[in-house]
Amino acid sequence: MSALTLRAVSKRYGTVVACDGVDLDIDPGEIHGLLGENGAGKSTLMRILFGLETRDAGTVLRDGEPVRIAGPQDAAALGLGMVHQHFSLIDPLPVWENVILGDTGRIRRAAAQAEIHAVAQRYGLPIDPLAIVGTLSAGERQRVELIKCLRRDPGVLILDEPTSVLTRAESAELFAVLRRMVRSERRAVVLISHKLAEIAAATDRVTVLRRGRVVFRSATRDTDVAELARQMVGRDVSLGAEAAALGLLPATPEAESEVDQTPAMRLRGLVVRPFLNGVDLDVRPGEITGLYGAEGNGQTVLGDVLSGLIVPDAGIVELSGVPVALKRPGALHRAGLGIVPEDRHRAGVVLDLSVAANLVMKDPVLNRRRLRRTAQGLAEEFGIVAASLDAPLRTLSGGNQQRVVLARELSAHPKVLVVAQPSHGLDVGAAEDLYSRLRSCARDGVAVLLISTEIEEVLGLTDRIAVIASGRIAGEMRTADATAERLGLLVGGVAR
Amino acid sequence: MSLAGDIETVLSSGVRLAAPLAFAACGEYLAERAGTLNISVEAMMLGAAFGAVAVAGLTGSGIAGLLAGVLIGALIGLVHGVLAHGLAVNTFVVGLVLNALVLGLTSYLIATAAPLSRPPERWPLYSLLAIVPLTWWLVGRSRWGLELRAAGENPQAAAMTGIRVNLRRRQALLWCGALSGLGGAYLAVGEVGSFNQNMTAGRGYLVIAAVIFGGWRLARTLVGCALFGLADALRLALPALGVTLNSQLLISAPYLLALLAMLLFASRHNQPQALGRPFPRGGA
Ligand SMILES: Nc1ncnc2c1ncn2[C@@H]1O[C@H](COP(=O)(O)OP(=O)(O)O)[C@@H](O)[C@H]1O
Ligand SMILES: [Mg+2]
Repeated sequence: MSALTLRAVSKRYGTVVACDGVDLDIDPGEIHGLLGENGAGKSTLMRILFGLETRDAGTVLRDGEPVRIAGPQDAAALGLGMVHQHFSLIDPLPVWENVILGDTGRIRRAAAQAEIHAVAQRYGLPIDPLAIVGTLSAGERQRVELIKCLRRDPGVLILDEPTSVLTRAESAELFAVLRRMVRSERRAVVLISHKLAEIAAATDRVTVLRRGRVVFRSATRDTDVAELARQMVGRDVSLGAEAAALGLLPATPEAESEVDQTPAMRLRGLVVRPFLNGVDLDVRPGEITGLYGAEGNGQTVLGDVLSGLIVPDAGIVELSGVPVALKRPGALHRAGLGIVPEDRHRAGVVLDLSVAANLVMKDPVLNRRRLRRTAQGLAEEFGIVAASLDAPLRTLSGGNQQRVVLARELSAHPKVLVVAQPSHGLDVGAAEDLYSRLRSCARDGVAVLLISTEIEEVLGLTDRIAVIASGRIAGEMRTADATAERLGLLVGGVAR
Repeated sequence: MSLAGDIETVLSSGVRLAAPLAFAACGEYLAERAGTLNISVEAMMLGAAFGAVAVAGLTGSGIAGLLAGVLIGALIGLVHGVLAHGLAVNTFVVGLVLNALVLGLTSYLIATAAPLSRPPERWPLYSLLAIVPLTWWLVGRSRWGLELRAAGENPQAAAMTGIRVNLRRRQALLWCGALSGLGGAYLAVGEVGSFNQNMTAGRGYLVIAAVIFGGWRLARTLVGCALFGLADALRLALPALGVTLNSQLLISAPYLLALLAMLLFASRHNQPQALGRPFPRGGA
């Protein structure tokens, strides 16, 4: 019997049908992959299961019994555990308080900490219960989420895009833990991921969701990456050219003609203690330059410097040969730098403002009719899918939110475009779309800097790669000369 | 009078002037940790001061007066909570309206609160010795307090783990109302022995300043209260000490001090991240 069954579950938001008659069976002892384009309705489906969203129609059965789920507590009582796409942890609180949040009864500090140790030991998820969550890395935060779920001994564990913020090593660890749980404890696991390679390697069965409908289901071993990609996107995709978007390593990096020009952006001796220790980097027009490194080696801080959020302790940023007065807010933007920051939720957009307002935020003109036309044009050009231009940005899927940021930045015709961790939380279609936009941007002569922790992305997309480790450029090469091994050595050799 | 005697007088009256602030600050601290920047603390104190004098005069019992103050404060907390965290009216608008309403009502009804014939009773001061540790324990150690803090830091994440954010915030306002009420009642019954129009005169805002000065930590918040209380005592003692300054100007001294203290010492490091931000999801 299935551990968890959905029958004809539907949900609509205004005119957007997020889930359309979804049937799904999750068996104990299996890792079930749920794949789908951006906005396909995966998160909505899971939120319904946790009582965070009410469904319009359909039934949910647990071990064959119809159940009513009015809130997360009901879900927990039914043995459903969830690791959310956007972490549900509270930063200023220590690990142990986060873990017991949502329990009832008296707080037993020592017992809670002992329990965390025990769960951590059992599943190989080392963590300090006293650490403040806000100081942890993404991988560690996810461990906390997992421990929080696992200590309630869930029969069904659901992970929404769990690897989108993890490094490759961390993802591999996660899958090992999941496999152990499924094999020796007969739990059911639902894995939502946009990386095809992961779904292919880590799941037993796979269901593909497209525009809220189930379009494909199969045992994982009976299908292949090409088939899955086609089902998810709804058309043929080229595994070679779009490998990075599909979460695959490119077979052979394309060798491209040498572009040799003066840099559009030049970083010299950038220091932000203790994160950046003298970064020198050139970004040339017509090229995509990748800045690759493991998390915590200064990428994020460099992104913040280029966003104007941090003023560096030392060093210069030159755009088209002219040093920028970094202390002045907006100076980088005026000098022709566009940026799609890493944390779109914080720096890139205002989630509670409408799509239209976000699109034209940087426009100096305040003529509503004209702004509206501009916004409409941008939304069409960039394929932004939204219930309406007046809908708050919060209601859009991750990919569409990102298109809004990208559209806004490109509409200012920047000379340099910086994109940080652009594919976090996106799936194939959206990432592919983004990558082709970045490529055409470079073709138009923009100098693109791609800051990324994803090796597939860096190898598949860039013309030149610089590796950052411990706040310094550890090496630089043409992408044609780069291999995963060589990059791995540079990342690991000097770092931490 | 000797210098030592002067200092002693100022210190002891400082403690007594700080006490009403300290009661209310325990409440405001808890409410702010849950995410409500509650400016109706002024209304809570003033309404309670009035009610306490009226009821104490009617019954002849100081305790009954204090209890009445606690109830009135809690009632204002309830109204604020339902409006701001049930019906989602802007919390500042709610606070301003309540402050104005209570000031008007108590001024209108002032005749019903005749000065008390009995001497002031200072013993409620000692209940602080229980209330402060209790507040600390509730916020820092109890499950309820953990859920309050979660609601004040990240209501979305708290709701995802099944916490009823707005319910917790309403409950926090009840606690805040009860303690602010106690503070206001103590001021009227325990110190002054009568009710005067607008007798709290902005002490509620001093309480908010103390919480901010304290960086959302209880011990430092109380230090802030002590500081403002002392400044108040010093101001009152100056004429007796032979110093003459414009009294209208002097009245503003504690507030200027509050401003200065916040400018110099306040750190936003511990500020609840969702302070003052409503959580719109349903009425839960
Ligand atoms: N709260 C909401 N209000 C309006 N539309 C929403 C809301 N949440 C999701 N949507 C829409 O529903 C669709 C499915 O979203 P989601 O379930 O997040 O997709 P996925 O997780 O597969 O990327 C998207 O088109 C999204 O814009
Ligand atoms: Mg999603």
